[in-house]
Amino acid sequence: MTDIHDLGGSPGAGPIDRSQHDVEDWERLADAVTVVLDKKGVKTTDEHRRAIESLAPELYKKLGYYERWIAATELLLVEKGLLTREEIDERATELEESWS
Amino acid sequence: MAAKFEPGDLVLVRADEKTGHVRTPGYVKGKTGRIEELLGEFEDPEILAYGGPRPPKKPLYKVSFHQTDLWKGYAGSTGDALYVDIYEHWLKPAREEAR
Repeated sequence: MTDIHDLGGSPGAGPIDRSQHDVEDWERLADAVTVVLDKKGVKTTDEHRRAIESLAPELYKKLGYYERWIAATELLLVEKGLLTREEIDERATELEESWS
Repeated sequence: MAAKFEPGDLVLVRADEKTGHVRTPGYVKGKTGRIEELLGEFEDPEILAYGGPRPPKKPLYKVSFHQTDLWKGYAGSTGDALYVDIYEHWLKPAREEAR
């Protein structure tokens, strides 16, 4: 039994979706924030991978590539005590309200 | 840490269930492959994944597998190979007749 991310050879996994889309701004930002945190020594690529793999299987399947990155970065920042879940939620609500 | 294997050695990938971050794909676990190359020594990513002090370096090998050994009913050429980078702690010596 392998974890949700270890899909190679799983029966019924189907072919790989090779369709591409233009990179969106939020995706560039997600990439940039993650890479900067690595370069600053806040976290490592390996921690980032472990955080992605620790997402609940249902959530893992539902999220897109960079959505998983954001979830992992959030999880690690909370784990390391740099931000709290409340601070993140509060800021997200503020941003959402400013756009509605 | 001195590398335990040399190019040409046959190795068996451990089939153990290991919880947490694992850099060895499930489809090669329990399979026999051949050491192609020592790629170098790197901090163990399976420990690095949990933060804390920097872990010791471990040898990383390029290991080849026959595709026909990996996939039931593989329809391609019998000469097809798959190469996977595997850390030493996942490998055990395998005997020639295991292949």
